[in-house]
Amino acid sequence: MSDVSPAIHVEGLRKVYGDKAAVDGLSLSVARGSFFGFLGPNGAGKTTTIKMLMGLAPPTSGSIELLGLPMPERALEIKKLIGLVPDESLLFDHLTGGEFIEFVGRIYGLDRAVARERSAELLDLFELGSSSGKLINEYSKGMRKRVAMAAALIHRPQLYLMDEPFEGVDAVGARLMKDILLEQVRHGATIFLTSHVLEVVERLCDRVAIINQGKIVLEGTMAELRHASETLEDAFVRAIGVDRAVETLDWL
Amino acid sequence: MHHARAILWAQWRTVRNFYPRGGIAWTAVIGVFWYGFWLLASFAGSQLAANPANLNLLRTALPGALLIVVLYWQVVPLLMAATGASLDLRKLQAYPIPVPQLFSIEVLLRVTSGIEMVMVLCGIGSGILRNPQLPKWAAFGLAPFILFNLFLAVGLRDLLLRMMARRRFREIIVFLLVMCSALPQLLLTRASGTHAWGLFARDSWNGWPWMAAANLAQGIAPAASLGILALWTMLAAWFGHEQFMRTLSFDKDAAGAAGTRGARTQGLLETFFRLPSTLLRDPLGALVEKEIRALFRSPRFRLVFLMGFTFGVVILLPVSSLGRASWFGNDYLTAVSVYSLLLLSEACFWNSFGFDRSAAQIYFLAPVPFSRVLIGKNLSALFFIALEVAAVTLVCVLVRMPLDLRRICEAYAVAGVVTLFLMSAGNILSIHQPRGVNPGTQIRSNAAGRVQAMLVVIYPVAFIPAALAYLARYVFETEWAFFGVLAFDAIAGFIVYRVALDSAVQAADRLKEQMITSLSVGDGPIAS
Repeated sequence: MSDVSPAIHVEGLRKVYGDKAAVDGLSLSVARGSFFGFLGPNGAGKTTTIKMLMGLAPPTSGSIELLGLPMPERALEIKKLIGLVPDESLLFDHLTGGEFIEFVGRIYGLDRAVARERSAELLDLFELGSSSGKLINEYSKGMRKRVAMAAALIHRPQLYLMDEPFEGVDAVGARLMKDILLEQVRHGATIFLTSHVLEVVERLCDRVAIINQGKIVLEGTMAELRHASETLEDAFVRAIGVDRAVETLDWL
Repeated sequence: MHHARAILWAQWRTVRNFYPRGGIAWTAVIGVFWYGFWLLASFAGSQLAANPANLNLLRTALPGALLIVVLYWQVVPLLMAATGASLDLRKLQAYPIPVPQLFSIEVLLRVTSGIEMVMVLCGIGSGILRNPQLPKWAAFGLAPFILFNLFLAVGLRDLLLRMMARRRFREIIVFLLVMCSALPQLLLTRASGTHAWGLFARDSWNGWPWMAAANLAQGIAPAASLGILALWTMLAAWFGHEQFMRTLSFDKDAAGAAGTRGARTQGLLETFFRLPSTLLRDPLGALVEKEIRALFRSPRFRLVFLMGFTFGVVILLPVSSLGRASWFGNDYLTAVSVYSLLLLSEACFWNSFGFDRSAAQIYFLAPVPFSRVLIGKNLSALFFIALEVAAVTLVCVLVRMPLDLRRICEAYAVAGVVTLFLMSAGNILSIHQPRGVNPGTQIRSNAAGRVQAMLVVIYPVAFIPAALAYLARYVFETEWAFFGVLAFDAIAGFIVYRVALDSAVQAADRLKEQMITSLSVGDGPIAS
């Protein structure tokens, strides 16, 4: 594995559902050690892209390389090196948070005792210790995201793929998660996250791509995107082409 | 190997957590009874197979018993998957587990979901081992049969899960599964002596896997039997592996995206949904329209509605055939209509807020009297019940049951009177015992014990007025008496309904916080 190869390299990625292309010829490169934000409005193709990167949805066409390894040819090696914060549907609802984290640790090959110990520590770190007896299906949305992130950390991966990790998380939880992620990047990990919360991306990410209707419409460093005195929100609205005067209804 | 251990551990935890943890003692008692029963069956099988005097009985009964094992093993895991106790290995694709290992684990998991049958087969095997008339090795003839069932269970489960992910297939598949449960009754009364029964017989075709396993386990034609069973097992392994691989690469979103309704169908549906608004003034019109839209779009409701005029007809048809001129044959339409009421009752009466949990708060916030909300729900229930009875009538025409205007009027009148009483009780129960229901699941996964206990009392009481009408017809031998009593029942029903409605409204005002809390618990789509 070459260290200079990007953490993520995607070429001409396409995913078609019925007669609609959810992702349409997406090409992207994410450098190692970067914090990459993948933005887009609802239904833009963010989750479909991350599912393809995770190996959960086969692309209709195009190529994916993660950490210099081709997907799906070397999927097993890749999966050992990545940590996932998937959408909620991939959690096992009838396990408790602690059981789920321990299970994921063991799946990644950790010794059972180590997995159990780390699971307890992660539960405490993510302030889920008091809910350790609760089943995941009894968790709130924010708690589900926190347990998914805790599970993603258990094997200290090199690359994190995160689908809306801050969705539904309260301010204290989000702050905690952000600090942990920044710490991971400082230690050389790469983070690829999808989000539609622009403030989070603006604060955390060093590079951003904006996707709309399956295509990348803007990509660059945070400084490049916020040229002049523009905020990320301005750049985002301009990129997806809905920058228009607020219309008022005559009855309103 | 650590993957397998971790997954089996997670499966064990999932099954353990699946049962309500509040009543461990109750779960333990149920477990003792359930597994005690199968242990007893295993012991009985062992004793039967061990006794040399039972050799002839064993020859007769074993093929049928093994066929029942196949049927049980293949159906129960499907229901388990629908209710969530089975671990979904597709979720593990994102983790570093080799696919062949996932398949082996899936096969192993099928043991846990058919453990009762393993117990029975082990019992029979141990009996064969102790039977001096049978060769010792014959007992191990059941081992490939277990393997055959495991592979077949993997394949069938994956095939059905994929089909159920497709729009429009879901209800059909679950419907067919449910209809399978009516099969034994149909066979019992209609198909005696036919080919279907022949499958259970000792002289059935030796090429069936259960026949080959039965022959092998008794030392009959061992080479041929082993060959046949091995062939079936290989076929099942291929089928299981093929289906499992397809499931792994299956794109649920793509399947869900296919088969959306055309513009013409949408237009017709829209007219159907807007029908109440043309007859009723808002806010009642809006409430009924919303209710009809919500129930119609709920797969769970669609399934019970479909079952009302199909399953009901099938399950009661054999009874009616005992004599078409009998009282039951005469009142078949009414009986099926009333039966369909029972099927619709959860959504229409007992838990009328369960299907639209998110809307419950709006009902308390909107400037609409709560009595209107309940009346709106009741009117939509009446609408679906009228449709259901019409569908039952249509099916009765198709199966050529005796039908005339008097019978149709009777069915509607009896269903209407019973509905009035059920609605009265239902309005109160919906306020006092609300439960969040996931309208997306086809099979109900939980039952509120207290509500079930109440229903045991409520159903017979609700049927008493209609029963009195039948009594009047029997005593006075005139339809006037029957319909006269029904008319009186209807008036009494309206009074009871009115009183119950007032009581429910008062209770709702008192218990709204409790109601909203109860409705927010569960695995429905609005859980947050």
